[in-house]
Amino acid sequence: MLERRFRRDLASLDEIFQFVASYLKSRGLDPGHSTDVGLLIEEVFTNMLKYAKGGGREVAIGLGGSGSDVVITIRDFDVESFDITAAPEADIDRPLAERKAGGLGLHLVRRLADSIGYEYKDRSAIVTLTKRLVP
Amino acid sequence: MFEITLEDGGLIKLSGRFDATQTERARAVLKTLDRSATADFADLDYISSAGLGIIVETYKRLHDAGHGLRLIHLNPRIRSIFTYSGLDKVMQIE
Repeated sequence: MLERRFRRDLASLDEIFQFVASYLKSRGLDPGHSTDVGLLIEEVFTNMLKYAKGGGREVAIGLGGSGSDVVITIRDFDVESFDITAAPEADIDRPLAERKAGGLGLHLVRRLADSIGYEYKDRSAIVTLTKRLVP
Repeated sequence: MFEITLEDGGLIKLSGRFDATQTERARAVLKTLDRSATADFADLDYISSAGLGIIVETYKRLHDAGHGLRLIHLNPRIRSIFTYSGLDKVMQIE
């Protein structure tokens, strides 16, 4: 697992996308997949910034896996627990005017990820996602 | 790199990566729209839920004023994001 730390700030997204593209390239995986992997990370990362109370100066993002699988870990330090796996489903079947705001990012994570795990330990929230890259 | 421009005839051209860092910039351009418009996604590589939120907000505002917003030239990955979000059923996507 290759892990890097990023400032706990939206402005880190550019560096995070570069990290993803560089990692996929190092494994010889199609760089086109960086959009799906980057989207999973952006949605979880921005969710942490919005909803997890507290938080240190940095968030650690890890990338690993083998074959066509990419394993992503996103660790938020010194934060209150916010279990994304327990968040309510987004309301996507109603007309736009009747939809409640929010929840779309985690809905996309549920649709795109092959598995989602959450662990809270020593005041760190750790989200683990796996994504099977299909050619 | 994300770019959004508003051209004559209500044509919005988007390109690059529409992520959560670009919402205010996009909103500033789209809120100037006051008639039916077409958003051309041909050069857009990426959109997250933050970008979708701005598109939905614009769509609703124009719709409530009796106008429309048409989305064209979505690449397959971006189209699938609209599909996963259920937006393909409620927005005009060509």
